[in-house]
Amino acid sequence: MNDMRHVERTVRVDTTKITARDVQVFYGDTHAIRNVSVDIPDKTVTAFIGPSGCGKSTFLRCLNRMNDTISVARVEGRIEIDGEDIYDRRVDPVQLRAKVGMVFQKPNPFPKSIYDNVAYGPRIHGLARDRADLDGIVEKALRRAALWAEVKDRLSAAGTGLSGGQQQRLCIARAVATSPEVLLMDEPCSALDPIATDQVENLIHELRENYSVVIVTHSMSQASRVSQKTAYFHLGELVEYGETGQIFTNPQDERTENYITGRIG
Amino acid sequence: MQVSFILLSLAAIGALAFVTARHRAIASVGGDARRLHSLPIYYGLNGSIMALVPALALLVAWMLVQPLFLDGAIRSDLSDSVLPEGSAMGLVVSDVRRVAEGLESGPLAQSFIAGDFADATPEEVGRMLVRGGTALGAPLTRPVLDAAMEYRTTSRTLRWIMGIAVLAVAVIGAAVAIHRSEGSYRARNVVETGMLGLLMVSASIAILTTLGIVMSMLFETANFFSQYPFTRFFFNTTWQPSFSGRGGASELGILPLLWGTLYISLIALIVAVPIGLFSAIYLSEYAGRAFRSVAKPTIEILAGIPTIVYGLFALITVGPLLRDAIASPLGLGNSASSVMTAGLVMGIMLIPFVSSLSDDIINAVPQAMRDGSLGLGATKSETIRMVIVPAALPGIVGAVLLAASRAIGETMIVVLGAGAAARLDLNPFEAMTTVTVKIVSQLTGDTDFNSPETLVAFALGLTLFVITLGLNVLALFIVRKYREQYE
Amino acid sequence: MTDATAPGAVPSGAGQGSLLARDTRTAKRNAAEGRFKIYGLVAVCIGIAALIVLLTSILTSGLSAFRQTTIDMQVTLDEERLDPSGARDYDEMARVTTFGYAPLLRDGLQATIAAAGIEADLDPGDAMDLISDESIAQLRNRVLDNPDLVGQTIDLTVLASGRIDGFYKGRVSYASAELDSNVSPEQLRLAEALEERGALRTGLDWRFLTAPDASDTRPEAAGLGVAILGSAYMMLIVLVLALPIGVAASIYLEEFAPQNRWTDLIEVNISNLAAVPSIVFGILGLAIFINFAGLPQSAPIVGGLVLTLMTLPTIIIATRAALKAVPPSIRDAALGLGASKMQSVFHHVLPLAMPGILTGTIIGLAQALGETAPLLLIGMVAFVREYPDTPLDGGFFDPATALPVQVFNWTQRSDPAFVERASGAIIVLLAFLLLMNLTAVFLRRRFERRW
Repeated sequence: MNDMRHVERTVRVDTTKITARDVQVFYGDTHAIRNVSVDIPDKTVTAFIGPSGCGKSTFLRCLNRMNDTISVARVEGRIEIDGEDIYDRRVDPVQLRAKVGMVFQKPNPFPKSIYDNVAYGPRIHGLARDRADLDGIVEKALRRAALWAEVKDRLSAAGTGLSGGQQQRLCIARAVATSPEVLLMDEPCSALDPIATDQVENLIHELRENYSVVIVTHSMSQASRVSQKTAYFHLGELVEYGETGQIFTNPQDERTENYITGRIG
Repeated sequence: MQVSFILLSLAAIGALAFVTARHRAIASVGGDARRLHSLPIYYGLNGSIMALVPALALLVAWMLVQPLFLDGAIRSDLSDSVLPEGSAMGLVVSDVRRVAEGLESGPLAQSFIAGDFADATPEEVGRMLVRGGTALGAPLTRPVLDAAMEYRTTSRTLRWIMGIAVLAVAVIGAAVAIHRSEGSYRARNVVETGMLGLLMVSASIAILTTLGIVMSMLFETANFFSQYPFTRFFFNTTWQPSFSGRGGASELGILPLLWGTLYISLIALIVAVPIGLFSAIYLSEYAGRAFRSVAKPTIEILAGIPTIVYGLFALITVGPLLRDAIASPLGLGNSASSVMTAGLVMGIMLIPFVSSLSDDIINAVPQAMRDGSLGLGATKSETIRMVIVPAALPGIVGAVLLAASRAIGETMIVVLGAGAAARLDLNPFEAMTTVTVKIVSQLTGDTDFNSPETLVAFALGLTLFVITLGLNVLALFIVRKYREQYE
Repeated sequence: MTDATAPGAVPSGAGQGSLLARDTRTAKRNAAEGRFKIYGLVAVCIGIAALIVLLTSILTSGLSAFRQTTIDMQVTLDEERLDPSGARDYDEMARVTTFGYAPLLRDGLQATIAAAGIEADLDPGDAMDLISDESIAQLRNRVLDNPDLVGQTIDLTVLASGRIDGFYKGRVSYASAELDSNVSPEQLRLAEALEERGALRTGLDWRFLTAPDASDTRPEAAGLGVAILGSAYMMLIVLVLALPIGVAASIYLEEFAPQNRWTDLIEVNISNLAAVPSIVFGILGLAIFINFAGLPQSAPIVGGLVLTLMTLPTIIIATRAALKAVPPSIRDAALGLGASKMQSVFHHVLPLAMPGILTGTIIGLAQALGETAPLLLIGMVAFVREYPDTPLDGGFFDPATALPVQVFNWTQRSDPAFVERASGAIIVLLAFLLLMNLTAVFLRRRFERRW
């Protein structure tokens, strides 16, 4: 891996996928996110970086309304996907989450077979007409997650029996099986060893072909390796947002520079 | 020598040993307690422990062994020839013991000592004993009376020897401890070792209890099977104990009882498992904090209500209601006590049991599983049905097994709600009976510990114990394995 | 990565289309969600409703046990009948049985009826059926205790018979009296007439809590005195035995036990004992304490021992949890000052764990108080009218009953008035349990410490 890759990478800016304006998040009395406004483009990998507790994961969880499951959390402001406000009263979070998939920090395969793990989303959303159709979706998702070759002979084995890196790729396969348009990844490599991390990073790179990927990471080198855009969060605020190469080589804000040069973190 | 007198004397010796040992220890270092190895109190405690523990151990052991020894003595005293026609040795031996006790402590004791009955016939003595409150199995005969007098003398002598021996041991123990009480003696270590021993003995009482349960039932069950073939007990489909005859006429098949037990337990579980599981799910996944803080303790009150209350509820409310509302109009039966009554009420009793166990188990499923499923766009109920419940399944199965074991061993609800008729039937509005009901009915009232009709209760008890133990061990094993999976 | 990305269009997913428009499938899924939620709510409500029905049923049929119908009258204690010798000698007077006293009450009742100006077409014997048979025995005992009363005319309040009592509690009506051989409509009319004149009334009566049991035909006189005393004795025994043994066992297992097979065996044993059916403990008590050790039947000592063995696992489990909750730093601090392990436990850990231990003990005692099945097997269902002696006089070895067993006993009697008594006894039992649990909650709230 060439860490300087990002410098020569061209950024293909298509349309804007997600627009956030003045987003505030409260956990009870704590003001966790302040005034975050950001435009996340389609078919791009966007990285959220920042010291731990800076709110990057919290903001990520706003994008598919996972914060709804926490009773004390409250979100204000406006977040739009393809121009539609996802906090509109008419929006069903269930439908939203099918469109905005999520991969979590720790691999969390269900205690079911590999096949059933991947087929879970298509089943609940009714995406397959019949068994053959479902088989096709599962295979495609596993191929997309670069796991097919390793597991095609043991699809009925337990998903929990895979190695850490395989489990995380299984979770990615599970997420892409519902054909989302956006894929949110919350520190997907923090529980993995370097080799597994490398595999997942390659995968993220390829996922960009089809999805808008937003990844939260605490590793700056990972952000520079996989992303085209980078947002730096600090104490609940979005400090700086721009091209990855520009953020890492020429940060505009002092706090970003301090973080990148290792003075805070 | 009275046991209470022995105990009082022991207390006195213990107190004296405490004071003396402590005093001697302090004196040995010239009154400067700092030069003692241990605090003065430990020397005192050492004195008391050395005096009391061996003496009390001897006392307990003696009191356990003496009756066995005396029984042996009676048996060898009474030759078979003196046995009245048709009665067993065990009965005569217990008669001898009762006569001896009647002579010893009954209202007759005074006049007997005065020698008033030297010339009385055994019949007269027998009548006087009965008037004094002693129950006799058979009319008193000369050999029995003689044996009783012999028994009484021997037991008095033994009591005296015991008293002297116990007190002697106490005094010797105290003397040794006092003698050792000098400055360099490590009294604290000795006392602590002794206390550790006491703690260990306390912990072992659990084992003794289990041993006692198994032993008490094993012996009498073996006794039962020597009078009644075990194939008939396990495979006979009729339960019909005779009250007059001895053994031969009785039909003591466990199958109808087991059927009743399992049928009632099944209904109880059909009621309790869905309600308990759904309550647990609702309370842990859906309910708001305020509702939960009221509803959860309210349901748990059901767990704290004694089973006799449920029994009465079945008897006076549920039973008549089911009979008048369902069974009679449909022509299914006209008995208030029925499998349905007992099963329904037992189900209510088990709701909090199932729900609090399921609650623990559902909460043990990691949050990551929920997030994973919700993040894919599953609804809450889909997450629960397709991810959480399957993940928690082993634990839930364990909880259901524990509930089943409770249901099978439950007594009061079935005694009051199920009826007493042993029956192999499918109609749930028919009265049926269970293993526990029959244990109660065979062991209360007049019992004769030599007839199979009484002894069968021990065989039933052992069967019950084995079944519930099996279920419990299996359930605990499953639950433990389940918890390890997520730790 | 040979098989990485299969080129081609993304398959149409669930999230296609506008978020603002709901598709039918999502509507269906949301309906299923709603139904599921309702199932849960219904389950919770069934549980709560069951509790309410249970308590209501017990309260409605049992509260009247605390009220009693009584009749006021004057009785002349005729010396001719009660003490013909005139010597006031106890043995002489004891020869007069209750049959000798009945006519006095009969005459007293007739006088009361006459004084009230009631025209009753009942012969004196039938009128006498208004009065509980128990009252005759009570009058006799009173006279035997105070021989000086003989010859006087005394004011007396006697218990009305069970059917009359039942009439005022709604169990008996004119219609049912027509069919009942124990009571006639005329007797009910007489009772109502007496009530109008103020000679008969129904009111609070605490004798239900203090009186001993009464025979099958006298439900109106049956009380809980012996049962409450018996239960109290047993609780005392359980407390005195189970608390120290349970605490000692827990201390050993939690603080000293080495990790070996013996310890494992003990632990498995304790968790299994907690789940053994209670009736099995009854069999143990019968076989070991009564048949083998020769302790008397129906005695609180045997019941107490059996309940102790049953309660031990509960106390041990609670105590171990309380000991475990004391942070290791406390132990380390004591050990660091040179205290021995035993001293650190007894001086520091145990006092800190005490609230938890006491809470567990009270909950264990509450369980033991409600336990019925094992007591049936050790003969506590017996009909006991005599109060046991005080513990110092060997009262633990006297026959007694226990609250829950008394309930069972009364359910086995034929007279329907005993249903009221049984339910009343349950109210008393539940009141004690409530008191104990509130104490436990109070202890927990008051002394709970968070580390």
